[in-house]
Amino acid sequence: MGIIVNPNLLRILALLALAAVPLVESNSYWLHVFSVALIAAVLALGLQLLVGMAGMLSLGQGAFYGIGAYTAGIVATSFGLPFLLTLLAGGIAAALASLLLIPLVKLKGSSLGVATLGFSIIIHLLILNEEWLTGGSLGLMGIPDPEIFGLNLAHDEAFYWLCLVILALVYVSIDRINTSRFGRALAAIAQDEEAARASGIQIALCKSKCFLIAAFTAGLAGTLYAYHSRYLSPNDFTFNKSIEVLIMVVVGGLGSLPGAVLGAFIVVLMPEYLRSSGELRMILFGTAVVVLMGTGNRGLIGLLQAAASLVLSRLPSFGRSRYVVRPGE
Amino acid sequence: MSATLLETRQITRRFGGLVAVDGVDLDVAEGEVHGLIGPNGAGKTTMLNLLSGHLPSSSGSILFADADVTRHAAEKRAIAGIRRTFQNLKLFKELPALDNVMVGLHASTRSEIFHALLRTPFQRREEREIVERAREALDFVGLGPFADKAAGSLPYGHQRLLEIARAFVARPKLLLLDEPAAGLNGAESKALVDLIRRIRAAGTTTVLVEHHMDVVMPTCDRITVLNYGKLLAKGTPQDIRHNSEVIGAYLGKGSALKRERAAQEGAVHAAP
Repeated sequence: MGIIVNPNLLRILALLALAAVPLVESNSYWLHVFSVALIAAVLALGLQLLVGMAGMLSLGQGAFYGIGAYTAGIVATSFGLPFLLTLLAGGIAAALASLLLIPLVKLKGSSLGVATLGFSIIIHLLILNEEWLTGGSLGLMGIPDPEIFGLNLAHDEAFYWLCLVILALVYVSIDRINTSRFGRALAAIAQDEEAARASGIQIALCKSKCFLIAAFTAGLAGTLYAYHSRYLSPNDFTFNKSIEVLIMVVVGGLGSLPGAVLGAFIVVLMPEYLRSSGELRMILFGTAVVVLMGTGNRGLIGLLQAAASLVLSRLPSFGRSRYVVRPGE
Repeated sequence: MSATLLETRQITRRFGGLVAVDGVDLDVAEGEVHGLIGPNGAGKTTMLNLLSGHLPSSSGSILFADADVTRHAAEKRAIAGIRRTFQNLKLFKELPALDNVMVGLHASTRSEIFHALLRTPFQRREEREIVERAREALDFVGLGPFADKAAGSLPYGHQRLLEIARAFVARPKLLLLDEPAAGLNGAESKALVDLIRRIRAAGTTTVLVEHHMDVVMPTCDRITVLNYGKLLAKGTPQDIRHNSEVIGAYLGKGSALKRERAAQEGAVHAAP
């Protein structure tokens, strides 16, 4: 048996801790970095649904992130749409773009990975070359302040909390999807397609829906990023982004939602903390990733669970609670 | 005899030059337990795969509940009420036993992603019903106490029962059991006989592919015998027991039976 604690309690504590960050960290640079981590966490949660739950290896999330960011940037600068509408537009544009790849969802394992990687490369080139739409290599500038019902959220703290609210909503949504009839169907497909079909699950349909939801989530993250950086450059949306998201999910722990969030924070924050190491920082980061993967495939969350159950097993009083954290929660 | 639930007409499946199932006419009456037996390589598992839609047929047709389902994919047949187990066990190993059975209710429940996101009263009620029905099915096969155990961690005999629970939970019209007694000990086989009788009593029609005559003979109403992909005989267990062709091909040869059991895992899977 795993650790015996109430998972909802842990989630609320984590949310409160994250919400308190602007109160203790007044340095605007670090708040900025933390906002990037929250946005990355939204992106990672979408991929977790694909890879961790449905077993669909996708290297296309960076492309949907880019489509969301540019859509939001373009509708905000050209049409002056308010934030909530551009957020929706970013998500919907990414979801619509994902329909192009629906014929590919039947591909398995590395085939799907390479096909979606190709898509990432195409989207990067489109962003780079369609200057009339995206500003090309000069980038897209002049993205306005995010406002919700007249409330300006451009301030560092306000924007951080905005990202946190959206992360929390996305987290709850994906958690609810996971524990639903649809989520069970995805888990079944990931483990045995033949048996899933024998239970009446329409595999292509379920995978398509999953792909669409993940793309929508990436589009939301892209929109947040557009408002965060105020300037979009094609270099932010190369296929490297897709690989980065995969690292977040795998480092955090495949199949675990808290793992995806944790992985996003590690991948964003660690190189920043290592900045003092200068050119060595990416080498240190890469080494840390390799070492962590060497400890097994459960990622950071797996390590934390193992450590926590080791500690808690020495405290018998904890054994009474009615909740059990199973792997993956 | 009551109405026919399932009928195949000249159903045929070729694998390259090999004709695994060769123009077989099978008819399964509503409510019966229908045995499908034959020596190793007779095409029993291929036949079952044709019935469930996991393999497309090369020619011939399949009628189920008065509809032609020959071209229907496996999931469509499952939705129509044909459920199966797998000879080589295809469980969702990392999911708890209960969740495995809950997946079996996928096609008979309705809630969509939208309902899950909003946790609508409809979705909550349906989830409660799914859990309740899955627990009943686990109790029905005797796995009630193991609901929270990962399917892959259960003993072999329990995994076989779990497959039956997953296939039976939605109360299918037709249940296809692919060698459910393989690897079971004597006591487990006896419990399986009892389970198959209870499934029959619950009104589900069953096609039973099985080697173990101590399971086939006491449970089946009628038996169809295949040999080299062709229909060899049909009849009641009594008829089959005394059919000289069947005895010659299969039952009477003790040595052939032993060889067959030894090779069970190999050739029949290898066919598809």
